[in-house]
Amino acid sequence: MPGPRIACIVLPLFPLAARLRSEPELVREAVVVTEGNGNAARVVAGTRLAREAGVRPGHTLPQARALCPKLVARPRDEECERAAQEALLEVAEAFSPRVEDAGDGVAYVDIEGLELHFKSDSPELELGRSLVAAADKAGLPVRVGIASSKLAARVAAGLPDSPVIVPEGEEAAFLAPLPLARLAPEVEITSTLEQWGVRSIGDFARLPKERVASRLGRTGRELHATARGMDSRPLIPRELPPVFHEGTNLEWPLVSLEPFLFVGRAALERLCERLESAGLACQRLGVELRLEPDGHQTRTIDLPAPTRDVKTLLTLVRLNLEETQPGAPVAGFTFLAWPDHPREAQLSLYGPAALSPDKLATTLARLFALLGPDRVGSPRPVDGHRPERFSLVEYTPPPPPEVRREPRAGRGLLAVRVLRPPLGLEVISDDRQPVEVRTLVQDESEKRPRVEGRIKVASGPWGLEEGWWTEEPTGRDYWDVELTGGIYRIYRDRGTGEWFADGIYD
Amino acid sequence: MAVNLQRRTLEAAPEMPLEAPDLHPATALRRLRALLPQDFQRHVRSARELDRELRDARETESEATLRTAVPALDRLLDGGLPRGQLVELVGSRTSGRFSTVLAALAAATSIGEAAALVDLGDSLDPTAAEALGADLQRLLWLRPQNLKQTLAAAEMVLASGFPLVAVDLGMPPVRGGRGLEAAWLRLARAARAHNAALLVSTPYRVSGTAAGVVLKAERAQAAWQGEDGAILLLSGASARLQLEKQRGRLPGQSEEMRLALGEVPLDGKKKAPEPPTARRTEFTGLRVAVGY
Repeated sequence: MPGPRIACIVLPLFPLAARLRSEPELVREAVVVTEGNGNAARVVAGTRLAREAGVRPGHTLPQARALCPKLVARPRDEECERAAQEALLEVAEAFSPRVEDAGDGVAYVDIEGLELHFKSDSPELELGRSLVAAADKAGLPVRVGIASSKLAARVAAGLPDSPVIVPEGEEAAFLAPLPLARLAPEVEITSTLEQWGVRSIGDFARLPKERVASRLGRTGRELHATARGMDSRPLIPRELPPVFHEGTNLEWPLVSLEPFLFVGRAALERLCERLESAGLACQRLGVELRLEPDGHQTRTIDLPAPTRDVKTLLTLVRLNLEETQPGAPVAGFTFLAWPDHPREAQLSLYGPAALSPDKLATTLARLFALLGPDRVGSPRPVDGHRPERFSLVEYTPPPPPEVRREPRAGRGLLAVRVLRPPLGLEVISDDRQPVEVRTLVQDESEKRPRVEGRIKVASGPWGLEEGWWTEEPTGRDYWDVELTGGIYRIYRDRGTGEWFADGIYD
Repeated sequence: MAVNLQRRTLEAAPEMPLEAPDLHPATALRRLRALLPQDFQRHVRSARELDRELRDARETESEATLRTAVPALDRLLDGGLPRGQLVELVGSRTSGRFSTVLAALAAATSIGEAAALVDLGDSLDPTAAEALGADLQRLLWLRPQNLKQTLAAAEMVLASGFPLVAVDLGMPPVRGGRGLEAAWLRLARAARAHNAALLVSTPYRVSGTAAGVVLKAERAQAAWQGEDGAILLLSGASARLQLEKQRGRLPGQSEEMRLALGEVPLDGKKKAPEPPTARRTEFTGLRVAVGY
């Protein structure tokens, strides 16, 4: 029975690659990523230009600057690294549902059966190339190794000329000529073995396992087994994260909105690309701000429909920040996207055309940003009789009918244009009915219609009562009145005796 | 060519009973040929073909327009709101302008089309719209606060594929003035690009040359029911709708638009009053009354 086939995806110089993913304009510069503060900061990784200038990991920043005066230094950024790791896993998940997160730019993918998707002579090689290309598209220059064990795949991924394929059962032969440091560079035993004259993995594998176990203990025994190509660690698939993160720590704190949006746009673009690659859209957007000196703020923006339109999301962030300012310089930020599946629609051949769910979601979000949340939606009547009341719900139109039909013959009904809020009136009335109305003096800047004149015909009163069981009942006496300028619906509040116009027949 | 020919033919011979049940198709064809000019006679080959092309012509027409369920408007615009054009409906207070907008929205949503109302005046009463037959689930209601927002919102909804977008500017004074003509031209272009019917209801002319059709609704005459001394009932209103501009047509045609209030007929006799009951809430179309 054939064993499992595992692809290992490795992002070399992970802290640097993660940083460059956030700042792609630095790719062609001499850049180093450092750990630590001030002059004590040490280089963790550097670009080719920096390495060519002699900068090596472990150098202090002043040493590195002495070697390369034009060096660009960036501190390690946990946010960038977390986002890059997630992006790497998402690339892998686009190929296989079983992906293990091994941390720090390493992911294992169970590729069993995937070769059926590739019809060439060497399907695994083609799969490896596809993985590299997909990661490259996401801004991640990865290396890929494919083998039957995690260890062999990891070692293969560390070699140049990616992708490297290790045929099934040839793991031991593949590992044998490689230097021992490739087996487990982090384990101290390797230096001990080198002192014994054991240089390659093959040399180590040839040692008797009982002797190795008695001299090097349990770790040595396990390492010996892996050197012989035996790796019993199973692949542990990760669970999908409920939230997508993307953010960065800023080199210096930002105090104005425009630079923040400039930096934020790039992060949102990366976030939306990730959502798109997962076939998802953003239903709720969170903005975490790290403020100077040690503040922290979290905001949440609910969207009317799932979208992955960067412009819309950026507008919403802008409006949110304009409405409630952070109150301190922003030293870093993280966008959180709560994903949801985009709306789908089945198009009909014969019925009216349905709206494109994707376009509709984006439009709703943009309208939301333009007009405000309480000004976009599908209207609904409210239980009660006051005509100025209404409610708005999320606009989710049902699918159109399968067959186009003609509208009913028009009934020609007269509608009322609601005046919202009702317009205060001064009314002169005789014993029975109002005879003249005039709009109460109002602020000129309000720009509201005026209702003035002698009443030609009045019809009423029509009583309206609502909520008589509450402490603030509504009682109104309605009149339909015809003036020279139109037909109005006016009422007298039974509680206060004040008159209002709340509609125009139009 | 064939469709145009048939239209001209029908206009030339309106008295011909084309669809008379007792007329044999061959006879009808012979009669029709006889009416045609010599050059066009060879285009009509069979009654079946003629029937099919007439049906196709009717379907093409119905696809090019969106019926509003306001008979006067549909008659004036040859079937309804033309898709891909900006139709400007100008009218003062109580001219039936808002009723027309709601009727168009109700007609579109009731047949399953999505529609959007960009309501600058914030004038919509959802209960009333539902009573007029609108399917509120398919209606997107936008409540902008000025004309700039109105134009931007209308352009967005047009671009997302809504087949009917109604823009109501409310009552004067309109918040934001008339807007730039360039903005209206952009809107008209968006309607044309997405083949959407765009109805702009406004108290005065705003869209300038962008409008493909301009209709003017004159102030309506109220219709009151009741006898002297008794309480009068508003039963509706009637207004005249006049075509002021339409590309390819002469202006000046008009139609009377009769609008009834609720279920009370405009010209019918007054309904016998129902006996009042204690705390009975009655909803008649747009009026809410409590009888005692």
